[in-house]
Amino acid sequence: MAANFWTSTQRAHWQLTRDKIADMRRGLDEEDTTKGLGLVYPLPDHKQLQLYFHNCLQRLARRLQLRQQPLATAETYLKRFYLKVSIRDTNPYLMLSTCVYLACKMEECPQHIRSVVNEARTLFQEFIPTDIAKLAECEFHLISELNSYLIVHHPYRTLMEVQVPLKLSPDEVMAAWSFLNDSYITDLILLYPPHTIAFTAIFLAVFVRPAIHTQANLNASGSTALNMGTAAGAGGSIVQPSVGQSVAVSAASNNPPNPSSARLSQISEWFAESGVEMEAIIECTQEMISLYDAWETWTDKVCRESVARLIRGRQLS
Amino acid sequence: MSAPTGPSTSSTLGNAKRTLPFGNGNGNDTPLLAMAAETGDVKLQNDDSDASDNDDPDDLNTRIKKKYTKDRKLGEGAYAVVNLGHRRATATESAVPVAIKKIKVNTEFRDGITMDAIREVKYLRELHHPNIIALLDVFSSKNQNLCLVLEFLDSDLEMIIRDTSQTLSMGDIKSWMLMSLRGLWWCHKSFVIHRDIKPNNLLLAANGVLKLADFGLARSFADPKRNMTHQVITRWYRPPELFYGAKHYSSSVDIFSLGLVFCELMLRTPFLAGNTDLHQLELICQWLGTPTEENWPGVSSLPGYHDAGGAQVKERGTDFFMNTFIAAGESGVELLMKMLRLDPRKRCTARAALDAKWFSQEPYPTLPANLPKKGGGKGIEKVGSDLKRKAGELFNTPDERGKKVARKLDFGGGGG
Repeated sequence: MAANFWTSTQRAHWQLTRDKIADMRRGLDEEDTTKGLGLVYPLPDHKQLQLYFHNCLQRLARRLQLRQQPLATAETYLKRFYLKVSIRDTNPYLMLSTCVYLACKMEECPQHIRSVVNEARTLFQEFIPTDIAKLAECEFHLISELNSYLIVHHPYRTLMEVQVPLKLSPDEVMAAWSFLNDSYITDLILLYPPHTIAFTAIFLAVFVRPAIHTQANLNASGSTALNMGTAAGAGGSIVQPSVGQSVAVSAASNNPPNPSSARLSQISEWFAESGVEMEAIIECTQEMISLYDAWETWTDKVCRESVARLIRGRQLS
Repeated sequence: MSAPTGPSTSSTLGNAKRTLPFGNGNGNDTPLLAMAAETGDVKLQNDDSDASDNDDPDDLNTRIKKKYTKDRKLGEGAYAVVNLGHRRATATESAVPVAIKKIKVNTEFRDGITMDAIREVKYLRELHHPNIIALLDVFSSKNQNLCLVLEFLDSDLEMIIRDTSQTLSMGDIKSWMLMSLRGLWWCHKSFVIHRDIKPNNLLLAANGVLKLADFGLARSFADPKRNMTHQVITRWYRPPELFYGAKHYSSSVDIFSLGLVFCELMLRTPFLAGNTDLHQLELICQWLGTPTEENWPGVSSLPGYHDAGGAQVKERGTDFFMNTFIAAGESGVELLMKMLRLDPRKRCTARAALDAKWFSQEPYPTLPANLPKKGGGKGIEKVGSDLKRKAGELFNTPDERGKKVARKLDFGGGGG
C-alpha cells in the first residue's frame, strides 16, 4: 500500500477498457505480421500464453519464497509490458524474471540479482543468460516501458479489510484469496479497480463456489497442470495455491462450503448497500468463469514449445 | 526484450516502440525545435560522458526528451548525475528551469538500479502536492540511463538557517513549518513515510514555497508484523525508537525529525548534534528526557534498549521548553512538545499539528513570497551539491561516509 488508489497512476494511466486492450494487442500483432514475424513464429492466443506466463511466474516466485504481493506486482508489470511491446521482440523468460526482480524491489523485499538469475536458470535453463547484466538492462527497459508508473494497488488488502465486517469464514477467505491469485491470469487488474476485483472474489467464494466446485474438481483430476508446483511450494507455502488446488483440498476434507442462508442474505444485503458496482462484479465473474473454462483444456506444451522456438529462432537468449 | 547486446537490440526495442500509439513524436518535434532555435536554445552542452544519448532522432521517448535541454552539470552522486536544464519554450509557455537527474545503472555492484532511485521514482510518480517536489517527466536514453526531470529548486532550509546575516521572524518559521507539515501530511495520508526529514531536504522554490525532496529513503507503511530497518534518518534528526532498534514504527518518526527542524529554525544551529549514535541518544536523554517504562510503556522491550543507568532525566515539561524556546510563545511550545514526545504513540500526527492554535495566532505565517531568500547566488548549486552526499548522511567529506547511516539492500526480505 502506498499512496492512494483514487489519485494513483494506476487509475489514471493503467485502467483500460477491453476495447483499448484489444486494440493495443491487435496493433502489436499487425506490426509483427508486417515484419513477417507472425508467420514464422506463431504463438498461441494470449489467453493460453497468460496461463503459461502465470505458471512460470508462480514457479519462480516459489523458488524465491516470495509473498503474494510481489508476485502480483510482477504479474501486473508483465501484463502492462506486453501491451506495449510485442512478445516476439522479447525473451519472455528473461522478461518475466525481470518483472519479479523489479517487483521485489518495489515491494521492499529486494532479492539479489544473482539469486533471481540463478533460480530462473534452474527453471528455464539455457533461455536465461548467465550474465546478470542482461537482466539489469532489461529492468531498465521495463521501467521505461511502464513509464515509471511502478506502484500497483492490489485487491488483497480489500479482502483482508472486509473479512471482519462481512464475517467471512477462514474457508471463504482462503477461497477468495485463491480466486484473487487466479485473477492475475486474466486482464482484470488492467480493467477494474482493485476493490472491484476483491468483491468479485468474495462473491465467487461465497455464492458461486459450490457451482465451480464440481467443475474445478474435474479440472484438478483431469489436468496435472493445475496442480503443478504443489510439491515445490512446500517451503512454508508462501505463495498460495490456486483455486484448483484449494478446492480439491476442501473436497478431500469432505467439507464443502455450506453457509446458512441467513448469512448469505446478510452478505447480499451488504453488497447491495455498499454501492459496489454490481455490473462490474458480474463482468469480472464472467471473466473468471471463462478463465476456468479455458483452463480445463489448457496444457503448457504448446506454449512452451512455441516460446522456445521463438527464442531460439530469433537468438534472443 | 531479449538480452540486448549493444546497439542492435536498442533498435529492436526502438522498432517495438514505434508501434506504440505515443512513441512517435515527430508531429510535435518540428515546431518545438523551431521555437527553440529562435530562442537560441538548441545547443546542448554535452558536458558529461555519454555523448550518444543526445540528438539521436531515432532515440526512445523522443517527444518527452525533446521537451528539455540540458544546460550544465550541477553535481554527481552515488547513483545519479544532475544537470541543470530547462523546458524549452513553447507557443503557450515560456522556458522553465528544471533539474535533470540521470540515474546510472549500478555498474559497480551490478545489481540493477539502486533502491534509492527506485524509491524516488516510485513515490514521486504518485505523490502530487504543492509542498512536495514535482517529478515533471521521466525519459530514458538508450545508454541505460533513466532521466528524472524534477522541478528546479534553488535553495534549501539549511542554507537559510546557516546564513546568520538574516534574521528569521516567528512568522517566517511558522510559514516554513506550515508548508513542511502540509507536505508531510500528504505523504502520511498516502501511507508514505519520508524517513529523511532534515533542513537540507526541505527545498525552497524561487517564489518561497517549501517542498519536501529526496525520497530515496522513503517507503510505504509496512504491513503489520513486517519489519522495517531502523537504519534510517540522518542521525541528528533521528527519533529515540530508532536508536533502540525498533523494527516497527510509523509516520511519527517524521514528526520527531520535523520537531527538531523546528528547534533548529529558532536556535539557528542543530539542537541535538551528536557525534556518534550513542552520543546522540545521550543528548536526547539529556535534553528531552530519559525514556522509561513510565513515560513510554514498552520501551524496555525494544531490541536495542539499554538502561542508561545513572542520572535519569524526567521527560521535559512545559517549563523547560518555555525557557529554551521562549520565542515560539506558549502555543508554539505546545506544538513543539507534542512533536518531540519520547513515546512515538504520544506524538501528534501531521494532521493534528496542522490544527495547532499556533498557526492561527499572530504573528501569522509569512506569505511564501515574502520569506527570506538565500543570501548570495550560491543557491543555484543546491540540487547538485546535495547529491554528493548520500541521503541520511551529514557531511560531504569522504572519510565521514560509511560511519553514517548505511544504506544498502536488505536481502533478508525484512524490508528496507
